[in-house]
Amino acid sequence: MADTPAFVTLSGISKAFAGVRVLKDVSFDVRPGEVHALLGENGAGKSTLIKILSGLYTPDTGTIIIDGKNVKFASPRDATAAGIATVYQELLLFPELSVAENVFLGNYPRTSMGIIDWAEVRSRTRELLDSLDTHDLDVDDKVLSLSVAQRQRVEIAKALSKNARVLIMDEPTASLVEADVRRLMDIVRQLRARGVGIIYVSHRMSEIFALADRVTVLRDGAFVATRDVGDVDEAGLVALMVGRSIESLFPKLDVPIGETVLEVKNLNHGRHVRDISFGLRKGEVLGVAGLVGSGRTELALTLFGMTPATSGEILLDGRPVSIRSPLQARDLGIAYVPEDRGLQGLVKPMTIRKNVTMATLEKVSSGMFLRAREEASRAMAAVKRLGIRCRNIDQPVAQLSGGNQQKVVIAKWLQTNPRILILDEPTRGVDVGAKSEIHLVMGELVKQGVAILMISSELPEVLGMSDRVLVMSDGRITDVLDRAEATPERVGAAMTAPRSAEAA
Amino acid sequence: MTLRSFIRHETLLALLLALVLVVLSLQSDKFLTVQNLLNQGRLMTETGLIAIAMTFVIATGGIDLSVGSILGLSAILTGVFWQNVGLPLSVTAVAAIAVGTIAGLVNGIIITRFKVPPLIATLATLALYRGLAEGISQARSVRGYPEWFYVLGQGSVLGVPTQLWILLLAAVTASILLAYTRYGRTVYVIGSNEVTARFSGLSVEGTKLALYTASGFTAAVAAVIFVSRVSTTRSDMGTGIELDAITAVVLGGTSIFGGRGTVLGTVIGLCLIQALKNGLLLAGVKGDGTIMLIGAVLILAILASNLFERSGPR
Repeated sequence: MADTPAFVTLSGISKAFAGVRVLKDVSFDVRPGEVHALLGENGAGKSTLIKILSGLYTPDTGTIIIDGKNVKFASPRDATAAGIATVYQELLLFPELSVAENVFLGNYPRTSMGIIDWAEVRSRTRELLDSLDTHDLDVDDKVLSLSVAQRQRVEIAKALSKNARVLIMDEPTASLVEADVRRLMDIVRQLRARGVGIIYVSHRMSEIFALADRVTVLRDGAFVATRDVGDVDEAGLVALMVGRSIESLFPKLDVPIGETVLEVKNLNHGRHVRDISFGLRKGEVLGVAGLVGSGRTELALTLFGMTPATSGEILLDGRPVSIRSPLQARDLGIAYVPEDRGLQGLVKPMTIRKNVTMATLEKVSSGMFLRAREEASRAMAAVKRLGIRCRNIDQPVAQLSGGNQQKVVIAKWLQTNPRILILDEPTRGVDVGAKSEIHLVMGELVKQGVAILMISSELPEVLGMSDRVLVMSDGRITDVLDRAEATPERVGAAMTAPRSAEAA
Repeated sequence: MTLRSFIRHETLLALLLALVLVVLSLQSDKFLTVQNLLNQGRLMTETGLIAIAMTFVIATGGIDLSVGSILGLSAILTGVFWQNVGLPLSVTAVAAIAVGTIAGLVNGIIITRFKVPPLIATLATLALYRGLAEGISQARSVRGYPEWFYVLGQGSVLGVPTQLWILLLAAVTASILLAYTRYGRTVYVIGSNEVTARFSGLSVEGTKLALYTASGFTAAVAAVIFVSRVSTTRSDMGTGIELDAITAVVLGGTSIFGGRGTVLGTVIGLCLIQALKNGLLLAGVKGDGTIMLIGAVLILAILASNLFERSGPR
């Protein structure tokens, strides 16, 4: 396969936005029937490269060669016509339309009368889905009723319906659970076997080693290296990505664990928080594992007062408290770094300064008036403490990379001096460097006696960072494991264990 | 989306206002006189008060269409309480303002408690409050107010129309509130991302409730000034004033999607519209031509500010 000529070759690609160079002389190619992983920290230029390849941006310099011919994409339509399709991170389907309607949208087969041939649309959609081993999906289902994993398969079917020869997958597993990841990887292998070239963007090393044939690393917009996967190991790739070697992947600190600060007894809210009881101690990291929909986030929302408990007890330092709103939770010393930082954690057009002080406006005010200087000094201290990489504190957070955005959200909540910090997917979509920095911050916090409740879909993170692991399934706690006994097998078993019949 | 772009929009608008003033003063020598300008200030106070409150409402991503009807209702109540019920006029004015404030509070409750989108909630109360005003007035108008009452709408203090002082006070207070206080910051956060506001422990519902109530209050104050200025009360007073106010706010650079806007911008927008209306009238342009020009200016101002704001992706 190594001598198969490339289907697409990019060479010497550069691109600048408003004078800022985001890609410098990058070269990249994809051969038919290979999985070529594209790797780099957030802000390394992966997204820009992908957008150039899919026709959304035109490069300032450089050439794109497809099948030996020099091409220029004026629009995504041109790229599609050339056989390049993209499955974006944020899936771009129309929720109100059916699966079949989405797959052929803008591209409907027509009868001789020029009318859309719906029978054909449905049967061809069926064929495409079957070819992806997706027999469980009804072509007439509305997309809004599908899970993320199912939507993704619809996206892939859509790409195939356009006879894609190169498929770009931008962090396809970012929001998938373990089982769906495995299924997706099967699909990717199958596409490869059919001769489709796949550009696979992911932060997850395990997937890259399981799937990719070659890997290209970008750093700060520049090409670093292209290697055969067999020639590199994980540490080597990480070093290429960050330009330095990362000490340890999960820097768990051994901190003496203190008395219980939070105790929850028989807590209930709706279908997803059922009869939850557990304790959280000072200096402890309590990991929460579970599949999507297992009630992990709902539990956090209930503790944070977003969806107040309908029954049960919450005790802080042994005293029962009632938490009816996030403000109350904050005043009790509970902070919540939400799952979706763009939607729930940040005001993206606003500056770092304003985002950092958002949950503690009274601390930067005298009376009702904001004190700009106090605000600035707090924001500056936060930038320093968390190592947020930015031009200055008046830079809009939208311009920061995912990892730095996440640090801003964490900084916002550290302003409240929480005693209990709930982190929901603290490192999702965050590059390796920032990820280990966030883990270091967690270590620092527990050293100061903060109790951390960490929800994560990434099992290695849960196992690596937690003192104890609480496993949820179907709104209930199915197991609580000490660090020593928490193996992937036991956690995995508890995650899927007793699904009740109504879990449809 | 930074402070720079705010200033840019307002600078642009101020330049446009200066240009309009120069051009119009060349068209008619009656335009750029102290007397005429002060008189125009008198005329724009009611819209201005409403527009200032509307700036906050729109900056949260909301809208209040019912202000014209609240104005009508408060105006009618001022007259009816005085003439038919026989209360002292000072008491009825206060009572009418209280009713207008409650009308605003009701808007706020519908929007925050029952989660009705502001556009629909206030569209409904626009009809409701106007209907109430018409029902109470029974198509009669009230006239013959005592002389002292006209000080508010027709008198002057230190050579400047009384109501212009009120507008100035409101504008300064509102500017400070929006730009320099926690409440102002909360308004912008809600307008930019309401979910994040909620997740940050900010009082989304409380803030909105206060804003719609304030919007009702300013509409009611505008009503009393209006009645005093025109010496009479009719139930159709203030019809369409919500659109004039929204135009001024949007022209002033407040984003209809929320998160952006300043009181200064609104005030400049207001002056620009009033200058165009009056100047073109004096220059002999017909009314429909003026409206078209205002529409065109609005679109151009928005386009220009969007152009400045665009600074590349990422």
